[in-house]
Amino acid sequence: MADHSTTADTSLTSALKRIVRSYKVAGFLPVLLTVLLIAFAIFIPNFLVVKNILNVLRSSSYLVIIAAGQMLVLIVGGFDLSQGAVVALTSVASALIMAGLKDTLPGHPDLIILFGVLAGLGCGAIFGLVNGVCVAFLRISPFMVTLGTMSIATGFALLLTSGIPVYGMPKSYVEGFGRGLLLQLPTAFYLAAAVVAVMWVMQNYTRMGRYILAIGGNIQAATVSGVPAKTYLILAYVICSMLASVSGLALTAQIGSGQAVINAQLTLESIAAAVIAGVSIKGGVGRVEMVALGAILLLTLTNAMDLLKIDPRIQAIFLGIIVVLAVALDELSQRRAALV
Amino acid sequence: MSDTSIPAVSLVAGPGRVWHRNAMRWGFILLLPLLIVGMELAVSLIEPRVLSLRNVVNVLVQSSYLLLFASAQMVVILTGGFDLSLGMAVSVISVATALVTTGLAAAGAPIWLVVAAGIAVGLGVGLLVGAFNGLFVSWLGINPFVVTLGSLNICYGLATTISGGRPVFNVPDAFSRLLYDGTFVPGIPIPVTLAIVVAIFLYFLLDRTVFGRALYLIGNNPRAANLAGLPSKRYLFLAYVTCSLLAAFGSLMLTARTGSGEPNLGGSLMLESIAAAVIGGVSLQGGVGGIIPAALGSIFVTALSNAMDLLEVGGYVQQILLGCVIIAAIFLDRIRVTGS
Repeated sequence: MADHSTTADTSLTSALKRIVRSYKVAGFLPVLLTVLLIAFAIFIPNFLVVKNILNVLRSSSYLVIIAAGQMLVLIVGGFDLSQGAVVALTSVASALIMAGLKDTLPGHPDLIILFGVLAGLGCGAIFGLVNGVCVAFLRISPFMVTLGTMSIATGFALLLTSGIPVYGMPKSYVEGFGRGLLLQLPTAFYLAAAVVAVMWVMQNYTRMGRYILAIGGNIQAATVSGVPAKTYLILAYVICSMLASVSGLALTAQIGSGQAVINAQLTLESIAAAVIAGVSIKGGVGRVEMVALGAILLLTLTNAMDLLKIDPRIQAIFLGIIVVLAVALDELSQRRAALV
Repeated sequence: MSDTSIPAVSLVAGPGRVWHRNAMRWGFILLLPLLIVGMELAVSLIEPRVLSLRNVVNVLVQSSYLLLFASAQMVVILTGGFDLSLGMAVSVISVATALVTTGLAAAGAPIWLVVAAGIAVGLGVGLLVGAFNGLFVSWLGINPFVVTLGSLNICYGLATTISGGRPVFNVPDAFSRLLYDGTFVPGIPIPVTLAIVVAIFLYFLLDRTVFGRALYLIGNNPRAANLAGLPSKRYLFLAYVTCSLLAAFGSLMLTARTGSGEPNLGGSLMLESIAAAVIGGVSLQGGVGGIIPAALGSIFVTALSNAMDLLEVGGYVQQILLGCVIIAAIFLDRIRVTGS
């Protein structure tokens, strides 16, 4: 009898311990997200409707992709303020190429799409390379470099279009890819899931993931231990910008036109999503699955506030408070952990 | 005799190297003024209007606003932080001041009370924003980027909510007369006078007070500042309050100039103020800077955009060029730091 009860006790305490441990690993974000989801499902009538869920999934997919890139750059101790501008430039460049090739390559929508996508990704690669080289070799502060490239990319996007939306993309790109559903889920969702999966494998099972963490933790120590720090720094910036391009391509396909002013908030949102997910601005800390949750949390909140018909201006106030509080809570819990 | 002189010379380094170092130092100090003068002269060959008295006065008036915002930004950059909320704080202060002054004027309050209340409310809101930023940055030790990103959103929400997203017109003339139209010193426009007064005040604050010197030490070496027994947290808090109060003063001057409270007033000011300070030579690493670099940076940025306006360079191209100038300026700054 007594024996039995003690084993039950130990299994209970071990289960509790496991929960506590997984809480310590994952932090309060999954808990917060679950609580919010349940609360919204109960109290907001139109929240748990298929159409709304698809809506949240799609809009958060774009942010997840961008925030994953931002996370990489934050881990190596940098910043990328140019992401939103690269999204806009990608949107404009790919749409212009597709619209321009419409007459020269009639009947070949696949080729048109291919060139458009390549042009978009090329913009991302170029800007990522410029950011990375300036940070790694010229050792300029990432904040200022990406501030400069943000201005440059925005200028180019506006210059190319004069601020007018670019139409004329192939129908299969817009209807099939941008607005299409695969197994009843938006295509952007699969794109985001693939990005998160690849990044997760990269972070956990490859040398590159460890190198990038090491560079962010202490770049001098990493260099001394034989990590080609500059190469990986540049790589982080290139991947970050190219992910912005991927998101820009998906967003363009969904909107159906190339826009030079696509979403001014994207850069700040991506940093906010990463920071809420516990990515340290000082570098060296960050996990992609948490960043994905952070992005979903942000857009779930936005969606709930939309459904509650809260003015977008007041939503901005809430978001600001949430970002600061989330980081403050994280900071305080870390401080307590450090004391223990 | 000759025995003692040899080691002395080798310790102090050769006269040639001293000369070289001095030349480098003076070269960098004079670089920006020379660039400004050179640019104006070069532009005047194509467009003589750039050196007309009217245009020069115009540039000085324009740059006196930017001087206030750049020096506000400089105070927190010295401590190793920055203030992303500055632009939106300017917006919310402008709207709040306009609402109070128009409201009181409509209620028939005496004109001195209207002006005094407007200034008090503007500075009061600035104080609140600064206290919010300072509290989270200094006492909770949260990264300034996150804190001011949050307050940026909060200020944006407040500015657009209380104004309904529209400009608040009919700010009383007396307010504009005090801070824009009237005269303190004959021949010198009021904005320039005020900017000079603020610049002198900041010079004494940063160079001649314990608080000012402490800001440099906190930015250079926060641990040393703590060990030296400085109340670092209180000074850091005060730095953010000073920054927001200066921004508030600048916002009052801008409101007096437009004669209305504009929710979009500060849109580009955050980036412009950081760019002007850093182009002037304020280091984003903290601990390096002063009122003269901030002033020179502001005049340079204003003169550059004024010259491009007169040469009829399009706004989009200006944006691209500004981005290039920012990166080039930081690169030069980098050479200065590593070169000396």
